[in-house]
Amino acid sequence: MYRYDEFDAAFVGERVTQFSDQVRRRIAGELTEEQFRPLRLMNGLYLQLHAYMLRIAVPYGTLSARQMRMLAHVARTYDRGYGHFTTRQNIQFNWPKLRDVPAILSDLASVEMHSIQTSGNCVRNVTVDQFAGAAADEIIDPRPVAEIIRQWSSLHPEFIYLPRKFKIAMTGSPNDRAAVKFHDIGLMAQTNREGAVGWAVYVGGGLGRTPMVGKLINGFVAHEHLLAYLESILRVYNRYGRRDNKFKARIKILVHEEGLENFKGQVEQEFAEIRGGVLTLPLEELDRIEAYFAEPDYADHGVVAIDVEREKILDPAFGRFLENNTFPHKRAGYSAVTISLKPIGGAPGDATAEQMEAVADLAERYSFDELRVSHEQNLVLPHVALTDLRAVYDGLAAAGLADANAGEITDMITCPGLDYCALANARSIPIAQDISRRFAAPERAREIGKLKIKISGCINACGHHHVGHIGILGVEKKGTELYQITVGGDGSEDAAVGKILGPGFVADEVPNAIERLVDAYIAERSDPGETFIAAYRRLGDAPFKEALYGNG
Amino acid sequence: MALASPIIAEPKHDKLRQLGIVALNGMYDEMDAEGVLKQAVEDLLPGSIALVSSFGADSAVLLHLVSKVDPGLPVYFLETGKHFPQTLAYVETLKAHLGLSNVIALHPDADIRRFDPDGTLWETDPDSCCYLRKTEPLEGVLDGYGGWVTGRKRFQTAERGVLPHFELTSDDRIKVNPLAYFTHEDIEAYKAKHGLPQHPLYEAGYKSIGCAPCTSAVAEGEDPRAGRWRGRDKRECGIHFDFNGSIARPVSQASLTLFKDGAVRTDPWKAWTEDDTAEEARYTHVPLAVFRDYRDVFLASPHPIGLRVDPGDRVEDVAEDLDRFSSIAINFPAFTDGRGYSSARLLRERFGYAGELRGVGDVLTDQIPFMRRCGIDALVVTNAATRKALESNALAEVAHYYQPVGARREVPAGTRPFLRRPEPRVTASARSDT
Amino acid sequence: MKILTGNELLSGAAVYLDARGNWREALQEARVFGKDEAEALEAAIAATHATGRVISIESEDVQMTEAGIHPLRIRERIRAQGPTAPRFFDRQTLAEDEYVSI
Repeated sequence: MYRYDEFDAAFVGERVTQFSDQVRRRIAGELTEEQFRPLRLMNGLYLQLHAYMLRIAVPYGTLSARQMRMLAHVARTYDRGYGHFTTRQNIQFNWPKLRDVPAILSDLASVEMHSIQTSGNCVRNVTVDQFAGAAADEIIDPRPVAEIIRQWSSLHPEFIYLPRKFKIAMTGSPNDRAAVKFHDIGLMAQTNREGAVGWAVYVGGGLGRTPMVGKLINGFVAHEHLLAYLESILRVYNRYGRRDNKFKARIKILVHEEGLENFKGQVEQEFAEIRGGVLTLPLEELDRIEAYFAEPDYADHGVVAIDVEREKILDPAFGRFLENNTFPHKRAGYSAVTISLKPIGGAPGDATAEQMEAVADLAERYSFDELRVSHEQNLVLPHVALTDLRAVYDGLAAAGLADANAGEITDMITCPGLDYCALANARSIPIAQDISRRFAAPERAREIGKLKIKISGCINACGHHHVGHIGILGVEKKGTELYQITVGGDGSEDAAVGKILGPGFVADEVPNAIERLVDAYIAERSDPGETFIAAYRRLGDAPFKEALYGNG
Repeated sequence: MALASPIIAEPKHDKLRQLGIVALNGMYDEMDAEGVLKQAVEDLLPGSIALVSSFGADSAVLLHLVSKVDPGLPVYFLETGKHFPQTLAYVETLKAHLGLSNVIALHPDADIRRFDPDGTLWETDPDSCCYLRKTEPLEGVLDGYGGWVTGRKRFQTAERGVLPHFELTSDDRIKVNPLAYFTHEDIEAYKAKHGLPQHPLYEAGYKSIGCAPCTSAVAEGEDPRAGRWRGRDKRECGIHFDFNGSIARPVSQASLTLFKDGAVRTDPWKAWTEDDTAEEARYTHVPLAVFRDYRDVFLASPHPIGLRVDPGDRVEDVAEDLDRFSSIAINFPAFTDGRGYSSARLLRERFGYAGELRGVGDVLTDQIPFMRRCGIDALVVTNAATRKALESNALAEVAHYYQPVGARREVPAGTRPFLRRPEPRVTASARSDT
Repeated sequence: MKILTGNELLSGAAVYLDARGNWREALQEARVFGKDEAEALEAAIAATHATGRVISIESEDVQMTEAGIHPLRIRERIRAQGPTAPRFFDRQTLAEDEYVSI
């Protein structure tokens, strides 16, 4: 994986010094809160309901064991012994005190981590497929280019005060696991007619108040021109994006109001000016960065397949783990293992310091010192030999991390909601807990199959409810929390925004409502292989609407 | 003249005296400079009036008038010690040619060595330099006179647009401006008609000549005074600054709002107001839309003008005319509005604008490094803490850059951004790019 | 009826203004401002703002019940009690030097 050179280290070190000085000035009263707020936000430090929250970037979701141990150290030393992994492949600490933040950032810098641009109206952490570099289905490992984008966008002086935040996601595989069409810019690896690999560029996707599927603005941009193309988009957005209304300031609104063709015309005009200029990426430089992401030294263990059916008989729990939590690896004899952070009745995405350390140990021993954070709020051991799967499973079980529910109904994306978040209107975590308890039985979850539930506590949609096969949106109505249910959303390459089928439910009724939807699906599906989303696409709203509200 | 004695006899703040000044100003034809001078010397302030001359490029006209009215009139010359040798020679030429018998050189106080030990004060603090070398020596002398004669003309700079023949100063003395209505062409015509000797530097392009270090040649069509204190954001020597007539004091700290070239200084530029016109505007940042509406007038005007770029303005629309602006102000009405960064980069990088590019508006110290990287080289600073941080070069800055932007050449020209080398360490003096 | 609440600068903890001008952790110690005390409320906000030590200051609508002060918004009730669901139910606490008075 990528290692800082002296330049990167100096950059992050200077940034820590700069922010430490800003914190000092604030505490000394030299800066007012109005002046300090944008500065702390630029460093991922928010004020939530009960305390500050510090958001730390995990660039393109890749971590080493050493880095994970440092996160455990931060959790234990400065926080309450746990952290929360987010859909942006970041980690959040919910209880830091202001004067400890410089020390936290300094500790993080010692393992090449930072909180730069994890908030504020700037280019945020670039996210990628959590199986990047491991997935059997990928055309290219997107992380070297993601690293180059990280560098280009870090403290870019022109794009630090954009109209609104700006998120870029990438996938190297045609099967999109990074929700690229719901980002301000989505990049999807593409092979052109000459056989060269480059990027299809989607622009103007997003969730929130106005969910939109990203539009293809350019079908193929070669690596060497990618930065110039991104800079062209950012410049057009910085100059012409709306600044009069916070809710209309994202690039999706600009693309929508201008129309894709107009917007594209402006971008291409800008691109024509800077194409071939100083932002041209020399292929040697791409090679140099790629070397950091070289494949690990895979070994030949003589086992290239596991008889999952047999394991299921021998040890049903392990068998289920193999079935759900392993992902096909590009190297025969290996697998990518998902570590579920969705225990039944738990808070989705949370991990304790002890769990982080256990995972770090396993990564060091069984996954070439590599870990991933997924946008679905799980962790991944990307390169596990099939012969080590049992040992990994046992290690996870000892740490309370062996939940075998990856991709199932209880593997929900959930925002922190009103239990923590200053913007939320309703709680999310208790809803997720209730649903996971309702569908806790492995047989029941297995019967339901792949089904993504996503829960947000407000319209900002941090829980991606718009793209849940079943989405749940918390709202406040007359002093009580109410939950709107949507059906049919999809964050994959078949991107779709879910539909609201009727009035909302109070919290207690939500598990029943979900159960009725699930029962309707099972009753109507053509065969057990037809997933919920496929059945919805075939059947339309009617059976689901009836399940929720009756046929009155 | 009936009006003469009451004007002198009456005490200060007498309404009558002011009315007298108004009446006096109505008595003379615009071009009757000799009549004005004669009135002052013979009737208004006999024995109590003097002249201060710089012996510059167009001083000959007024001195010629003096020689006709009274060759013995005291003519003070500020021997600042910083004059061109050609100017000192010209003093002698004019004395001989015009028969002036009472030219008196005024030297700075011996104290000057304490304030300006190595003679470089003009470089670091031109206002104080003018004060020590001109204002202070003159003050003592002029106290002995009831008024004095100046060579000021209306056309010269914005502050002089309303100059009358006679002025009453706030300390109740009279300033006489015989050439108030003379244009540049009138001066040239007068010199030619009377065969007056030219200042030796005039033909070399020096149209307005002061002390050597603070004077440069002006281009054809440029405001003649543009050569004075060029690039130093100073237009008027202290002795003229207050055009109500009193000798100006050194500039107060409060008016030092421009940070440029490593120091705060007075800002000679002003913002465009509703009362401004395209014909008359000078040292004014003209809004981009106004410039476009009156483009032809601005292009024809001989005065230095600037451009103001607001968020949302398209700098492309004035790309052809950038040479016309001596200064461009990028307006940041709210610190969260980042459009100005794009405007600055386009001006510098795409359209090659090389003049002063200033950031004005709501500027936090923490944004200044970003502005500089986008090519902004001057800042209008009102916040005391920001100013202090700038002066002591104490901005907490991340000095490693991942992107090649702006005019700072962070990455050596022609190399790639990802060769990511830090900016070469620069010396303190070379670091004065903002 | 209203109470004044905010977050203490150093800890970020939720705090409430009491009748003696101290910012306290406990909701029930909060001073309740009646409808006719708008000026006192504004003055308290201004005085607190001047300390620079309490951020995100807001006035919240409350009711008096048998159990004491009851904020009308769920959000405020959760702020007063701490997170309802996950690992820790305690709120952020103030260290000795994090108490603010006006």
